[in-house]
Amino acid sequence: MLKQLSRSDLEQLLEAVAKNYALQVPQLLADGTRQLGPYDNAELSLSGQPLQRKPTSYFFPQTELLLTLDAAGNVQQPPPAEKPLALFGMDRTDLAALTFLDQFFMAPPADDIYLHRRLNALLIGLTGDAGPDSSFLPLADDGCDIELIAINQKWLALGHSEAGKSLLRKFNDGDDKQLVTLRKASRDQPSDLLQQASQLLHDDLVPDAFWEEIADRCILCSGCNLACPTCSCFCLQDRQTPNGTERSRVWDSCQLDAFMREASGHNPLGTEALRTRRRIHHKLVADVERWGELGCVACGRCDRACPTGIGMFAVAEEMVERFGLRS
Amino acid sequence: MTATLTTCPYCGTGCNFYLKADKTGRVTGVEPAGKHPTSRGQLCIKGWNAHAFVDHPERLTTPQIRQRGQLNAAGWETALDLVHEKLQGIAEKYGPDSLMFLSSAKVSNEENYLLMKLARAGFGTNNIDHCARLCHSSTVTGLVETLGSGAMTNSLSCFDETELIFVIGSNTTEQHPLIGSRILQAVQRGAKLIVADSRRIRLAKQADLHLRQQNGSDVALLNGMMRQILQDGLEDREFIASRTEGFSALEQSLDPFTPEHVSKITGLMPNQIVDAARLFGKTDKAMIVYAMGITQHSHGVDNVRAVSNLALLTGNLGRPGTGVNPLRGQNNVQGACDMGALPDVYSGYQKVADPVVREKFSKAWGCNLPESPGLMSTHAIEAAVEGKIRGMLILGENPMLSDANQAQVKQALENLDFLAVIDIFPTETAQLADVILPAACYAERDGTFTSTERRVQHGRKAVDPPGEAQADWQIVCQLLQRCGLQSDYADPAEIMTEIASLTPSYGGIAYDRLSDNGLQWPCPTSDHPGTPILHQDQCTRGKGLFSPVDYRPPKELPDADYPLLLNTGRSYFHWHTGSMTRRSHLLDREERSAFVEINPEDAKKYGFVERQQIRISSRRGSISCAAQLTGKVPVGQIFIPFHFAEGAANALTNNALDPESGIPEFKVCAVRIEPC
Amino acid sequence: MHQPARNQQSIYAPRPCRLLSVTELTPNEKLFRLQLCDKTELQHQPGQFVQISIPGLTEAPISVASSPTRKGYFELGIRKAGQLTSALHRLQAGAQIGIRGPFGRPFQLDALDGKALLLIAGGCGLAPLRSLIQYCQDRSDEFASVQIFYGARSPEDLMFQQDLSDWQSSHNFSCRYTVDNKPATSCFDGETGLITNLMNDIQVEAENCCAVIVGPPPMYHPVIASLRQLGLNKPKQIMLSLERQMRCGVGKCGHCSIEHLTCCCDGPIFWLEEVEHLRGAL
Ligand SMILES: Cc1cc2nc3c(=O)[nH]c(=O)nc-3n(C[C@H](O)[C@H](O)[C@H](O)COP(=O)(O)OP(=O)(O)OC[C@H]3O[C@@H](n4cnc5c(N)ncnc54)[C@H](O)[C@@H]3O)c2cc1C
Ligand code: SF4
Ligand code: SF4
Ligand code: SF4
Repeated sequence: MLKQLSRSDLEQLLEAVAKNYALQVPQLLADGTRQLGPYDNAELSLSGQPLQRKPTSYFFPQTELLLTLDAAGNVQQPPPAEKPLALFGMDRTDLAALTFLDQFFMAPPADDIYLHRRLNALLIGLTGDAGPDSSFLPLADDGCDIELIAINQKWLALGHSEAGKSLLRKFNDGDDKQLVTLRKASRDQPSDLLQQASQLLHDDLVPDAFWEEIADRCILCSGCNLACPTCSCFCLQDRQTPNGTERSRVWDSCQLDAFMREASGHNPLGTEALRTRRRIHHKLVADVERWGELGCVACGRCDRACPTGIGMFAVAEEMVERFGLRS
Repeated sequence: MTATLTTCPYCGTGCNFYLKADKTGRVTGVEPAGKHPTSRGQLCIKGWNAHAFVDHPERLTTPQIRQRGQLNAAGWETALDLVHEKLQGIAEKYGPDSLMFLSSAKVSNEENYLLMKLARAGFGTNNIDHCARLCHSSTVTGLVETLGSGAMTNSLSCFDETELIFVIGSNTTEQHPLIGSRILQAVQRGAKLIVADSRRIRLAKQADLHLRQQNGSDVALLNGMMRQILQDGLEDREFIASRTEGFSALEQSLDPFTPEHVSKITGLMPNQIVDAARLFGKTDKAMIVYAMGITQHSHGVDNVRAVSNLALLTGNLGRPGTGVNPLRGQNNVQGACDMGALPDVYSGYQKVADPVVREKFSKAWGCNLPESPGLMSTHAIEAAVEGKIRGMLILGENPMLSDANQAQVKQALENLDFLAVIDIFPTETAQLADVILPAACYAERDGTFTSTERRVQHGRKAVDPPGEAQADWQIVCQLLQRCGLQSDYADPAEIMTEIASLTPSYGGIAYDRLSDNGLQWPCPTSDHPGTPILHQDQCTRGKGLFSPVDYRPPKELPDADYPLLLNTGRSYFHWHTGSMTRRSHLLDREERSAFVEINPEDAKKYGFVERQQIRISSRRGSISCAAQLTGKVPVGQIFIPFHFAEGAANALTNNALDPESGIPEFKVCAVRIEPC
Repeated sequence: MHQPARNQQSIYAPRPCRLLSVTELTPNEKLFRLQLCDKTELQHQPGQFVQISIPGLTEAPISVASSPTRKGYFELGIRKAGQLTSALHRLQAGAQIGIRGPFGRPFQLDALDGKALLLIAGGCGLAPLRSLIQYCQDRSDEFASVQIFYGARSPEDLMFQQDLSDWQSSHNFSCRYTVDNKPATSCFDGETGLITNLMNDIQVEAENCCAVIVGPPPMYHPVIASLRQLGLNKPKQIMLSLERQMRCGVGKCGHCSIEHLTCCCDGPIFWLEEVEHLRGAL
């Protein structure tokens, strides 16, 4: 289903969504970055830099209460949210990341804590001329209920799911030919840098000394993991409150020494070089093995979050540059 | 979900981030500010976890009063009346100077200002100080003398254009991680790096030269480098002639510091000193970066003078990519000093001894003010032991763990007639208090903080404080009111207006001007854009002063009974006395308990294995903690971070003080080790 | 998005269970006998583990040390290693704790059917192996023979001493153990030396043999080498247990991953050939 929305149609659509969902929309914050925030207090920011906070954090937040245990050992689960979430403004990489995370958390046994936020959530992607200075962002074509494709101050609206289609029903039809052109434009993939790096690692062509060198530049900030929309590792935290023990999960980072350290002191990831290798290897090789696709959706967040310039792209580039010729 | 832009509560780097809070008013996470000039979308591990302690169940939520040895919950009015009555009573009976006020580098500029007003105007004493005494008092004394201002001369952006960075006594990647990362980035783009540190810190791995001088031998090293620079004619003659004074005295003083002589003192090879001097001397734009490794010595001020001399000698001042860059530890240690939470100055370093200044403040505050400078915190502890200090108000500090010689601090605090503590957690110090007042933490109140690069920026309220806790400024206001002083500030912005009116360097600071990225002082007028680089055309004091120094050894060195040198400091994951970081799950997990770094060679000699509990004793105390075998520390030295109450490094440290700045010698004392 | 059943308990919710008894095994290890509060069976298989939950200290993964063939209870042999395990050691019969599980891939019993078994444990690894040994005892006709090898650090670290002598006298069973070091003062008269010493002189029909190894990380390489010497060179002949830090037990937390595998779901029991080529596995 293809529709075309004017600015006021768009407002109407969001208004309709906000009736039944806790709608989050892209907005420009005081520090000049774009992030999702509640619809009611926001001016829309319909194009610009990628969203600073990974939108997947709505479904897998930095701290999340799992349950409360009372003194007798009874388990109390947190109350469900009043309204399901609707997120507007994710680009192709953000949507791909969420699809990846869905697959991960749904693999049996399904993670009910993740699901209770994710189920019934509505996703409205935003692509087309929605990048910095209205530059073109490739189409997602999947992974959301509705995709809004910005073009010439209007939005082509693709309904992917039933929920999406019914929200769009009342709007005017869009021009299919336009969509074909846009799809063609989206096919020009930027580069296969990550694929090459993945191959190198898979073929074991990257020496350990390389990882030591990179690791020497890591200051253990954990930002690369915490910023990454496909990172899913967490640790558990118990806090004793007057209402019982609150057990929460908290984002964790495989760059930290205690991530795998055992009570005896033994640590299978006991050096920074091993951990640095794991961070890259996990996304480029292990995830391919397990899920059949790269665990990196090329969103660029880790490169921006890394204070010393050794995010995914920086490392992949260095790897391919130095060891690529040999393959 | 709300997102509130605020300033990191940990180190002095001054990163900004958004605090995420959920509908129930709980903070749930942190997102770095993407376009802020310091954080640039990045944070260190502490910043990424800065939300974690905020809603910890152990937060203090109601005032408590000690009755028959027990701390019991009490109402605010009762508790505040009691604090006022007790302090007033002591002041009347024994004189105002029997009171001591400790302010905090963790609270805002406004709060520091109010507390110093309370001490001076409310109780008539200049006995106010804070933990800068323990970190950069040597810097303030030293650099005020040589340059006229104790602050970091340059800005963090200078790291992006410098050609050489000389890091001496700063484990930058762990203690100012986002400055450390800039240094690593600078090295990546080709800048040279010299690291002078006895420990093999992360930066050392990337350094062109790593000098592992003996702890406490920095003056000799710096003098040796300067002598060599002169020998090779690498000094900046033009700069020396036009911008400095006292050169010939310096020149003479350097004579004895031949590479061979310096080698004997520092344990370095003579050619290392020569190499370092040449590398530094030949560079046009060099930044000197230092921290506690320079300041925390019984000759800390001399160390600072030597650093300053080196910068002046080579003309590395007043230009982008140069400068003397003392890195401030706490998020607002710069601000607490700026605000006059010091015994000898009002805000903006205006001397209490100066009658004109006193007159100005006296008029503004509507009361008479004491003339003679007050006691430094370290001396106040001694005075409390002697019974000369009888009442104390501590705002957000935990001297039980942070001061040198814990046994003496305990004795001092227990000896007081009355102790009031304002804090967010029941710290070791709060346990000794007669009254505890619960405060709001950084996430629960508005205020400004001044980072190491003199950037005054907002801290903003994201959530409500727990229980009945109140913002420090509100608490202090209620005490001011009980002292009969003007205290009806509507909000911190109004306090800043008063500060600006009385403080020339903050004259142009106003809340509505700070919203973007803050302002760097000096900012004297409301249209002044702030000052990224100090001492550009001339130094704050006019000419830069060469201040020759001679080498003095530390007060206590290893001997037959105590054969090892103890070095102390912080670790990456924890903050000071751990009251916040040990309550942050991820940080706590990384380092759960006290440890001591020991060189594998020494461990072998004593038969210690990894993780073995060992006993460490000095002339002042004895603790036990787990051995961590690492080549990071040189043979003959051990290192213990001071975060852990159960293995408190400061039970061992030497409270030998620098005669000028009153800073204790945290970086050197003698210990012995044995199996537990 | 598919609809999962929403009425179920959360996968993170512990179930209450009661401590029936606590027995000291060594100065550092105790055996805990437990029963689910609803009196149902745990329904585990040998090699699986549970997550023990103690409010305030989160959870720790512990292998079940008893066989499902023994009804009415399950047992855990736990070493005092850190916060949570120390808290457990302070508990007494009657106390209530939480558990989740059983989790993980068990010993591949099908593959062991009719085989001559070499069951090799080091240190604390005897606890999980005990569930298999008990199972073999209770179904002894399903296996050709069972040879048990066990190594501990010192005589006082030997766990399950009563069981060890039981096993020595069981039908079809042999059981040998050794200690790394024997203090001069000890009256221990058993063997000393590394566990591989026990395996040098044994006679096996390699073809029909299957080995199971559970022990501390440094034990794997030498033991595997000895087994290769004995001729166990085919796939599905050597099974081992890989333990890692586990926070969730259900493949989500990421702490126990080895490359693309998670120890809590794909393991803890693996065939050697599944993991030997993976970095950091052994
Ligand atoms: C599958 C499996 C089966 C196990 N079976 C047994 C058993 O039968 N008997 C026994 O005594 N021990 C067993 N362990 C080890 C046991 O889980 C740890 O000793 C225990 O988690 C230590 O927790 P603590 O809180 O006491 O230690 P702390 O050091 O206080 O806790 C550290 C944290 O790290 C984790 N951790 C620390 N060490 C380990 C480790 N070795 N393995 C996994 N996680 C660790 C814990 O989850 C804990 O939260 C098993 C581990 C695994 C993975
Ligand atoms: S670019 Fe970095 S942050 Fe983005 S998905 Fe890839 S690894 Fe994660
Ligand atoms: S973001 Fe960079 S410095 Fe931080 S942990 Fe990751 S690799 Fe290390
Ligand atoms: S570098 Fe300092 S200011 Fe920045 S996040 Fe870390 S502790 Fe906070």
